[in-house]
Amino acid sequence: MEQQDTLAGLLALPCVESWLFYILSTLAICLAIGVIADRAIIRAGFLLIGVFGSISAIFLLLQAQFLALAQVMIYAVGITLVVVIALMLTNPRLEVEAPSIPYDDKAPPLMKFVNSIRRNIVLWVSVFSFVTIYAALSGETHWPLSSEPMPTDCVKTLGEALTTTYSIPFEFASVLLLAALMGAIMLAKNERKGEGADNLTIAEEAKNADSNLALQR
Amino acid sequence: MNVKLNAQPTQTVALRGKEEGLEAKIAVGFCLFAAAIVGTYSGILFGENGLETVVAHHYDFWICVILGLVGWMVRSAGGHKGVIITITVLASFVVLTLHQEQLIRYLVLAALLFSIGIYGMCKSRNAVRVLMSIELMLNAVNINLITFARYVDPMHIKGQLFSIFVLTVAAAEAAVGLAIVLSLYRNTSTVDMERFNLLKW
Repeated sequence: MEQQDTLAGLLALPCVESWLFYILSTLAICLAIGVIADRAIIRAGFLLIGVFGSISAIFLLLQAQFLALAQVMIYAVGITLVVVIALMLTNPRLEVEAPSIPYDDKAPPLMKFVNSIRRNIVLWVSVFSFVTIYAALSGETHWPLSSEPMPTDCVKTLGEALTTTYSIPFEFASVLLLAALMGAIMLAKNERKGEGADNLTIAEEAKNADSNLALQR
Repeated sequence: MNVKLNAQPTQTVALRGKEEGLEAKIAVGFCLFAAAIVGTYSGILFGENGLETVVAHHYDFWICVILGLVGWMVRSAGGHKGVIITITVLASFVVLTLHQEQLIRYLVLAALLFSIGIYGMCKSRNAVRVLMSIELMLNAVNINLITFARYVDPMHIKGQLFSIFVLTVAAAEAAVGLAIVLSLYRNTSTVDMERFNLLKW
């Protein structure tokens, strides 16, 4: 208990919180870029564990202990495990890097510029979304900040709210989870159909084997 | 070789090969830089309290733009792509958040992770990676909710409650999404997003 108090006191210092925040967010951002950019998709799946871990540490910084642990259990272990198993089941291939607009060396510079923008349109959309959100955030000066301290027993507050005020969404969440799990099992179940279906699958695989870069090497 | 920043289409016929692409990139970068300078200057001149608005409040934007342009040039000169992109994003993040208060820092981190998720979701061709990007975006939303619970509503922590529901829906979505990917893979033996054209007309 005493140790927890010293930890909370240490976190209350703005300097310590800033340093921890920047270290953790550096980790999270680097690993997130690794997740979307790593060529080996199985490594991206494992980097995802690091992203979720650093985000759960950020939750701890924000004094959401219960959610940090739930994050570790649900995301960093559960979802990532399912993702990695799905990667192993789907035989990940090398992603073919074929831009829809080929690089034309002879085009005039302005056309080249327009082509490069068209190639990278997704990048510009995401940068634009970030800039928009940032401008909205930094332009707002009147946040209704509250200086009240966090309750010492967050879990108790959460549990009381979940079982009294928010009991109906809580129940609906359980129904949703049940339906989702049943649907997932139904979808992923390996059904043996007639011979025609099997022949079709084999033919499809033979057709697609040409495009499998991993097999060609 | 004749190096001109404002290369006309007629003059570039003589310039071929890789140097020309580099030249055009540097030229375009310089044009963007000039546009930034002009924007700043016109903001100073014409805006209401122009100097204050543009330079004092949005100088961080221009620093990030300059950072991106220098990174682009270093990349054109032959730097490692991943390192340059990561360093640029990190440095922009630090520049944009260092002078802000704690609440805005967390919100900007969430916005950055959300944008990375958007990029990955639209760009990647592997269906499983698309699902991973969606998980990333849901996590960014969770950071937002918990930040508001911490700094705006610390008594009732409603944000944490709603992030529990987001967590639940994310788990359901991951299970169903991966099952759909598995069943698609079984039927078409590919997970390439470009080849899922079953509903295309």
